[in-house]
Amino acid sequence: MAAPSAVGSFPSPYEIETPPGAEGWEEMYPYYARFDEERREADEQRFWFWNSMHFPVPMPAFDAICVDSPYQAIGNWQNRVFAVPPAMGIDWRCINGYIYISGNPVLDPAKIGERAEYFQKRAGYYYENWDELYGKWRVKMDALIVELGELKVPELGEYEPDAVAFEDEETSYCAVIQAYRHALRLLDLMWQHHFEFLLLGYGAYMTFAELCKANLPDIPDQHIAQMVAGLDVLLFRPDQELRRLAHLAIDTGVDGAFVEGRSPDEIEAELSESDAGRAWLAELESVKDPWFHMATGDGLYHTYGSWLDDPRIPYASLIGHIGALNAGTDIERPADHIAETRQKLATDYAALLNDDARKGFEELLALSRTVFPYVEEHKFICDYWFLTEWWNKIREFGDLFVAHGFFADRDDIFQLTRLEVYEALDELALTWATGGPARGPKYWPPIIARRQEILERLGEWTPPPAVGVVPEEMLDPALIMLWGVTTQRVHAWAREQEGGSVLTGAAASPGIVEGPARVVKTVGDISDVREGEILVCSITSPAWAPIFSKIRAAVTDIGGVMSHAAIVCREYALPAVVGTGRATSAIKTGQMIRVDGTAGTVTILE
Amino acid sequence: MSGGGHTRRLDELRQVDNGSFGGKSSTLGELIAGGIPVPPGFAVSTSAFSAFVDEAGLAGKVANELARVSPADVESVGAASHAISEAMRFAPVPDAVRDEVAQRYAELGEPPVAVRSSALGEDSQDATFAGQQETYLWVRGVDHVCDAVRDCWVSLFSSPAIAYRARLGAGDEPAMGVAVQLMVDAKVSGVLFTCNPVSGDPSMVAVNASWGLGLAVVGGEVTPDDYLVSKVTREVVREHIHAKDVEYVPDAGGRGAVRVEVPEQRREVPCLDAAELDALVDVAGRIERYFGSHQDVEWAIARGGELPSSLFVVQSRPVTAMRRPAGTPAATSAMALVMNAFGVGERKS
Repeated sequence: MAAPSAVGSFPSPYEIETPPGAEGWEEMYPYYARFDEERREADEQRFWFWNSMHFPVPMPAFDAICVDSPYQAIGNWQNRVFAVPPAMGIDWRCINGYIYISGNPVLDPAKIGERAEYFQKRAGYYYENWDELYGKWRVKMDALIVELGELKVPELGEYEPDAVAFEDEETSYCAVIQAYRHALRLLDLMWQHHFEFLLLGYGAYMTFAELCKANLPDIPDQHIAQMVAGLDVLLFRPDQELRRLAHLAIDTGVDGAFVEGRSPDEIEAELSESDAGRAWLAELESVKDPWFHMATGDGLYHTYGSWLDDPRIPYASLIGHIGALNAGTDIERPADHIAETRQKLATDYAALLNDDARKGFEELLALSRTVFPYVEEHKFICDYWFLTEWWNKIREFGDLFVAHGFFADRDDIFQLTRLEVYEALDELALTWATGGPARGPKYWPPIIARRQEILERLGEWTPPPAVGVVPEEMLDPALIMLWGVTTQRVHAWAREQEGGSVLTGAAASPGIVEGPARVVKTVGDISDVREGEILVCSITSPAWAPIFSKIRAAVTDIGGVMSHAAIVCREYALPAVVGTGRATSAIKTGQMIRVDGTAGTVTILE
Repeated sequence: MSGGGHTRRLDELRQVDNGSFGGKSSTLGELIAGGIPVPPGFAVSTSAFSAFVDEAGLAGKVANELARVSPADVESVGAASHAISEAMRFAPVPDAVRDEVAQRYAELGEPPVAVRSSALGEDSQDATFAGQQETYLWVRGVDHVCDAVRDCWVSLFSSPAIAYRARLGAGDEPAMGVAVQLMVDAKVSGVLFTCNPVSGDPSMVAVNASWGLGLAVVGGEVTPDDYLVSKVTREVVREHIHAKDVEYVPDAGGRGAVRVEVPEQRREVPCLDAAELDALVDVAGRIERYFGSHQDVEWAIARGGELPSSLFVVQSRPVTAMRRPAGTPAATSAMALVMNAFGVGERKS
């Protein structure tokens, strides 16, 4: 254990053992992702926390690209573009397949001063021109999604097409390799765009929150969030469409097909037998683009497809909505009420402040409302729409390998690192060109099988919320703003290392309820959620919004009051406690728990 | 009716009457003027006290005794207190005063009343005269009301009060008013602040409440239930329900209040429900607006009544010790604050 401190302690990253059966997990990840002996002195003295918000389960080898690429991007914007004065970028390491991250502080006052000049100039420019720059951003992202859609993965047939012979077209094997490079580049661009506005967006919001708390020390966090939150949020559109479809099913008398427990195929089979059912299916088809580009999880794993890939989620939601409507429950998002509350809170709080504070309050609220649409919308556009499409693009390369006997299944590609895929493509290009025997078909399948087994074993292991030293103070704006990892939160994690039946987190949505827990670790578990249960998860995504009409409360391992679980719970008026650090490991499905979303505590009752 | 000048109805008083009726009575008059529900009653002027001292021929004795006091000498204070109190306790209330009190009391309908001292300067921003906060609850009958009035006067010469005035150099002619109010048979009572005095948050109402009459909370004899309620949304932001072991209830014999144990099954039950908290927050807002400053308010909710008419305010005074929130530096632009959040300039922690 690390040196004991008054605020508890975390294990050393070097003392964590590999679970039996998972030996050799290290080969799935880049050499620089390990807690290696060369950097031990430095790494052991740092604070690392498990980024369970984005990486709740062990990373498949290929998916680790969604660690590198975003951290390149966030480091670049934070450290090299905006030069946030006290903090450079975020480093990552991997323990037993789980991703731990740590900030790099700037300690030299002269350096901080130098960076401040860059920051003021560059960030100032963004804030001043936000709407215009964000408008351009939307155009860039739309173009990127189109470019991804148009990217072709050529087939490698018996003979090259005529165009290669007669029209000087690029050869197929070159085009395959180029398409792969292109796909990787598009991902890098997406992450580049993703982080362009994110930190500044959260920064304005956090500043507003701090001003509120400095003047109104007891203001509930959710009131601050409610004043800023957008009214017409892109993320709620998909569920809004489902509610509309639920109404339509009832109005046209086809709601009888939506029986709890039925698969989407069974429901669609029944619908396709009647005119009204077919009309409903046609309507469903018309909303799929873009609204079914909603991801079934938080997007950073290839396993999180979109609603298009896995219709169980939207169908579970439809069944829920239709059941609620037939039971006489109002399922509409209370948009008017949300708008009224937003305005009333802003007006009433402003009236309670003195003149100086009110001026800051009003200016910062206006700025927060300007920047917040980005924070709310980038998730749908980048993490869901682009990323789910991108994984499918990679699957097309998987198809190519399957066609040439390298893999048994298209998804096997995700068991190779991105560089191994490159290598395998090179071999495929070579042996396809030469006609000679390929080693790949014998070489890769046992590696793939072994890695699948390792991931299984790693998935059964529970990572500690943090490793390394307990920091006296968290100063990194990005870690505080994006992950809600504040000094108090870290210290609470450290104290809770000893266990206990009360978990503390951020009070994200008020109210107190008791009920049976449903621990959801992967998206596959989502359809197990039953009416009246309390959702316990690492982090929920707005893609899970549909099940919020079933549950009584939500508890997450990580996240702040602006996290998605928090936003959705406030929408649905459900109690929520977020950022408990260890809810999914401390709570078992079926246990009775009490969630106090006002105090920010979760009590295990049995 | 106007009476003989020694008494006035509470609703006839305003802050300007502080000098003749004392702080408590004049504030109650202001509350009534502000439309705040205050139990009806009347106030006894300092002139009544002067008449009492004059008629009993005690002026010289009081002056002599006080002249011998040395603030540092506890024994001299105790001796003066004893001598004056004993002399006053057996002196009659002047007939003129008694007649006025009797008439006012009859106008009220001769109900059980609370008799409270109303010291000059009391309830003002900076002077709380120690030992002059006597309250006699559930007093019935004109004789007992007059006795309680006299007891309030006597309390002006308690040892702590004498010592306090001596230290302050507060003059040689102490005077005291008295407030007489319809007694509220409180089911639950307590104190509220129109802000959170601990954090200084002006958007909150802080409520302390316990079963029965207000003595238990004010006297610190129970740990009250503790609520923090948002003025903006009326949500209870924090609440701590404590075991409330004792309460004060009217004596079954018909006079005075007695301290009894709270039955086990009621001790840990929250003593306020949502509607009651809502009514308290509502009245807190009205009082704050009327006075234009944060107030520390004593209140009671009558047994068997219905809100809002069952809620009464029995005292209000400005909050003296309030923490100031960290606040925002004056003339700081929103952009400067955002820059600061990213570590530009001195980090405020």
